[in-house]
Amino acid sequence: MLNILMVGNGQCGNRIIDAVNKQAFGGKTKFAKFYSKQKFKSRVETIVVNTAINDLKELKHTKGKDRIHIPHLHGVGANRNVGKSVFTENKDLIMRQIEDRGSFDVGFVVTSASGGTGSSFTPMLIRELKERYDFPVYAIVVLPFREEGTLYLQNAAFCLRDMRDSGADGIILADNQFLKQLGGDIESAYNGINDMIAERVLFLLDALDSDMMMVTDLGDFKTVMDGGAGLATIGFYRADKDVPVKTAIQKALSPSGLLFSTNVYDEASRAMIIIKGDKSYLSIDDISNEVEKLSTAVGHVFKGIIVRNGEYPQVLAVLTLESASELEKLYSIAVDAIQYEREKKARVEDKKEVDKAFSQLNGLEPHY
Amino acid sequence: MVKLSRTFLLVVCSIVLLAMLSGSATARVEIYNSTIREGNGYQMNNYVIDVTDVFVSANTASFYVYEKDEKIKSPLLSINDSFTFDFYDGEVELKLISVTSGTLPLAKVLITVSNYNIADLYANEVITGGHEYATYSGTPVIELTKTVDENSIMVDDIITVTVTAKNTGDDKATNVIFSDPKQEHFILDKSILEQTGPMSLDIGASQTVFVYMLKATEAGSFILKSSTASFSNSANQAFPQASSNTPTITVTAPDIPEVPKKNAVLELSTDIDSITVARNDKITATINIKNTGDAPASAVWVNIIIPQGLEYVGGDSAIEIIGGVPKIYMESFGKNYENEFTYTVKASELGTYTLTTKLAYEYDNGVDAEVQKVSTESVTESIYVQKGKYDELLEQPIYVYLLPLMVIVMIVAWIYHRHNQYKFG
Repeated sequence: MLNILMVGNGQCGNRIIDAVNKQAFGGKTKFAKFYSKQKFKSRVETIVVNTAINDLKELKHTKGKDRIHIPHLHGVGANRNVGKSVFTENKDLIMRQIEDRGSFDVGFVVTSASGGTGSSFTPMLIRELKERYDFPVYAIVVLPFREEGTLYLQNAAFCLRDMRDSGADGIILADNQFLKQLGGDIESAYNGINDMIAERVLFLLDALDSDMMMVTDLGDFKTVMDGGAGLATIGFYRADKDVPVKTAIQKALSPSGLLFSTNVYDEASRAMIIIKGDKSYLSIDDISNEVEKLSTAVGHVFKGIIVRNGEYPQVLAVLTLESASELEKLYSIAVDAIQYEREKKARVEDKKEVDKAFSQLNGLEPHY
Repeated sequence: MVKLSRTFLLVVCSIVLLAMLSGSATARVEIYNSTIREGNGYQMNNYVIDVTDVFVSANTASFYVYEKDEKIKSPLLSINDSFTFDFYDGEVELKLISVTSGTLPLAKVLITVSNYNIADLYANEVITGGHEYATYSGTPVIELTKTVDENSIMVDDIITVTVTAKNTGDDKATNVIFSDPKQEHFILDKSILEQTGPMSLDIGASQTVFVYMLKATEAGSFILKSSTASFSNSANQAFPQASSNTPTITVTAPDIPEVPKKNAVLELSTDIDSITVARNDKITATINIKNTGDAPASAVWVNIIIPQGLEYVGGDSAIEIIGGVPKIYMESFGKNYENEFTYTVKASELGTYTLTTKLAYEYDNGVDAEVQKVSTESVTESIYVQKGKYDELLEQPIYVYLLPLMVIVMIVAWIYHRHNQYKFG
């Protein structure tokens, strides 16, 4: 049995961890926690960290003892510098909470790249974890909508850079901009994205600790994540009807199945494909053909097959990327955003416009 | 020595005898000790001792004793002689002391009396001329007669009452005082004559003392109270009070046309909506009250008697719980008026029950002075309370409840534990 640590930083990280806990109960209702037990194959410890207590209060499926509030007003206000300072001041508290939960074989830290607390805490937390422990730590990073604002874009850019410098063993990208295709209002879109990420994470955790017909394990996952440029994404497809496994694999690798926009056949470096379902759906020939097609493009592909009687085919693909054109676009926009923010700040500091307005009142008094 | 002893004994006996004699002498009271001229007499009440002759030369005198006009004794006494005669329950003794000559000779006498209360001696004096000139006292008898002019009258009629007194005795009645009490069932309409005295009434004389008019106030047969008279004789001796006769008056009520009496008749009924119910079910009862009489009722009380096994749940606002009993009070209930009251009871125990409604009210029948009081009650049909739908459950052994209860408790405890686990803040 694996010992897995999952930490969610900031509002986005908190919600994704809460969604993981909710889906682990198996039930669809919010009352599942009262009558069900979490179906983790491994020993999974989930911790959520936030400076905004209201974000912690709104969680429903994460135990109270696993919610760590770092008191600092009601958040850091999307200011990563403040966030870093707060983390430094409260580092011992956070690390003690992790320490108290025993030893781990692998760790995942989930965060949004654009917010304040998550984007500033996560790189520093990963650095601390890497310095103190020897288990691999992977970051699951959610990129912002491009139209969310310049502060979020520059936070995302600097966060990803800090993340790479933190010593993380890999960064799994999920892009809100790409997942916007889910549609619906903002809240349901966020919830849908969180659920989508949670579903993939649960599948991955299940796959890493399952008895398989064809084996992939934590070592294979590490090997995959070691490839490429340190960036990765996940593709997934769950059939809700009788679908050939070949189709399921193709859909998992298609843009609609991926968390981040990429052409896996062009940009992927290594891959791991895990297929789950009833034996009747698991055609070895079809699986081999599709895996072979992918391996021809990306090099090495690990594959695992989990037999679950009566289940339609489900496919999870972990893909590390050699390059990420979408990320380059993000950085290009982020640079513009940083430039814009710098100019705006300069203007405000100059105060000339405001002073000019106020100067018109010189020598005047109000008359009533 | 023996001679001396006998002498001593004789002396002692003589002393004792003298003492006894002197004791009897003390019971006699001296009445007169002086002279009486010949021809005169000495009166002691109705007795007169005449000194008929005094013989100085012979030292004697003769006496006649009269009881009123009847001579009862005629002794001749020498000086120091005496005679006695019966005087009521006692005895009078006259002793001739001396005789003295003169124009008319005198006899000195000592008159004593024994066994007689001297206070009763109302006349004791010398009578000049002797017994023929003595005045004797007698017994007056007052006869009082009360008469009425009519003995049978109607209510409000007036009768005249006349009271007359007549002295039928042998002595004059003195200090006569009449009285006439108030008469019950009559009122004094007019007083015409009222002579209450004191007065005197000669022998054979009659006197009308009261004349008055009485008015009858109610029907019936009534006896008039007697008039009375207190009186004395000429010697001021008081006599027992005399009373008149007591006429009976029959007073008839006038013929008053009979006024028909009115009645308030409250008809009471209590209906229920169901006669067979399951335990814990509710039964609605309706009380209907209707006045079918020709007079309004007042002070109407309705008491609802709920038997044990049924519980009063609630009812119309007019129903109040007083002392644990549902009650309705109505100040008045007009004729032809009808009212309904609804209440609900809950069947709490198995069994057969009835609901009793008690009604009490008053009314004025227009004739009698006092109000008429009526009470009645109505009883519903029998209500059969049977087992409820879930009663079978209650009859199960305790573990039947305990096990699910424990499961529920465990579930609640688990939910509470889970709630605490996931509670934050």
